[in-house]
Amino acid sequence: MTKVDEAEAPEKVVNYVIEDGKVRLRASKCPTCGGVFQPPRSICPADGSSPLDDILLASEGTVYTFTVVRQSTPEFKTPYILVYVDFPEQVRVLMPYDGEEPPPIGSQVDIVMGSGPRVENGEPVSIPHARL
Amino acid sequence: MEEVYVLGIGMTPFGKHPDKTAADLGAEAVNLALADAGVSRQDIEAAWVGHVYQGMAMGQRALYAAGLSGIPIDNVENACSSGSTAIWDAAMALRAGAYDIVLALGVEHLTNLFRGAFAPDPSDVEAQIGLTMPGIYAMRAQRYMVQYGVTSEQIAQIAVKNKKNAAMNPLSHFKKPVTLEEVMQGRLIADPLHLHECAPVSDGAAAVVMVSKAKLHQLGSSRAIKLAGTALKSGRTEVGLADMTVEDLTWRTAQTAYEQSGVGPGDIDFAEVHDCFSIAEALRVEGMGLVPHGEYVARVGKGEMDINGSFPVNASGGLLGKGHPLGATGVAQVVELVKQLRGEAGERQIQNAKVGVAHCRGGKAQGVEGTACTVNILVA
Repeated sequence: MTKVDEAEAPEKVVNYVIEDGKVRLRASKCPTCGGVFQPPRSICPADGSSPLDDILLASEGTVYTFTVVRQSTPEFKTPYILVYVDFPEQVRVLMPYDGEEPPPIGSQVDIVMGSGPRVENGEPVSIPHARL
Repeated sequence: MEEVYVLGIGMTPFGKHPDKTAADLGAEAVNLALADAGVSRQDIEAAWVGHVYQGMAMGQRALYAAGLSGIPIDNVENACSSGSTAIWDAAMALRAGAYDIVLALGVEHLTNLFRGAFAPDPSDVEAQIGLTMPGIYAMRAQRYMVQYGVTSEQIAQIAVKNKKNAAMNPLSHFKKPVTLEEVMQGRLIADPLHLHECAPVSDGAAAVVMVSKAKLHQLGSSRAIKLAGTALKSGRTEVGLADMTVEDLTWRTAQTAYEQSGVGPGDIDFAEVHDCFSIAEALRVEGMGLVPHGEYVARVGKGEMDINGSFPVNASGGLLGKGHPLGATGVAQVVELVKQLRGEAGERQIQNAKVGVAHCRGGKAQGVEGTACTVNILVA
């Protein structure tokens, strides 16, 4: 039996577009319950509705909480800062934070491209980050 | 509804067992539980076996090692609640009248498989971004500190309490108390959580023999403890921007157990809760409605949750002190409740313990507020 590598590269999984220089995450909005989901879904995980509307999240949000991860699994370079960002579209998304010190809770952040903490083939992977 | 009783309990030492397999540990716990129940292996009609990382048919391998085969054996995976889900399954079968005497076993051998931080399943995008289990609880701790005005030192007191209790438990992974200074000077795993505030990677097994009321009367044991309420729930899909210091899943699970047992939060004398991280203990106890939101940590500092306090929590040492062999944890919590309610807890005996609650909640799956949660209420 061959084990299939189930983890796709993050840049394919963190679904985003760059529009007028702004990084915007793709998400789904349920026309029935109004729930917003990121990454996008084909079926609403709250009420089972389908299809869902494709939307783009704002390129800024608010830091709900943060941590500095100092011990992780081997594919990540430690330490690194993670934040949960609350978007105006009423959805919370986990993101790496691009900065030396963690941002205070309640900080306004922009969504930008950044590198790491995941490392593939010796190179930090480029994915959307939050930045003050 | 048929009443259900825990007749016998068995538990291996938790810790590092490099020279034993998971099957060895499972068989050891089963044999202890059978002996404690005073029944023979031929009496067991069916078994549920909780485990997470032990591979195919762990239950059959463990029971084979104990000389038990041929009966229905159901392998149960429900993250850290696997063992307590096995108890729930066994209770459902007894209540349905399908069997009169069954076994629930939780077993895990991790130290030959893992070290360091656990992470959610790699298929979750959050895991690919870098989320770890300590990371999730660290982020919840950061919110808790800001919302309720407590410090990381106050949260760390939970680890001090549980390791002190563990030192009185001969089956614990850790047998040495730690001071607050030692916790705070320890290595940070995910800010603000230090090494002593994270449950260790452990090996171990725990088993319970469970019977119907009719079977109990037939056997005539005086050491059985009633499982008055048992509830299992899963986390709901997260919609919107919820408060991460409030556990909807824990609350809903506890509500069901309260309704079944006729026992309310005010009737409960002591608790074993899923303290995979120091902050988790606060979130669980508050989540079950046993202490108002935001008050738990300060009360720990006043000694209220000590073994001789007004509401002892994790007298066994909890996951932080006793250890956390994932699949075994939920069964071991019920083993501790039975010991306390029988008055057989030795040095860490809680005085006048009549009603105990065990809360187990584990795992992480992206998009839901929690994965699996169980609440078991036992009454002497």
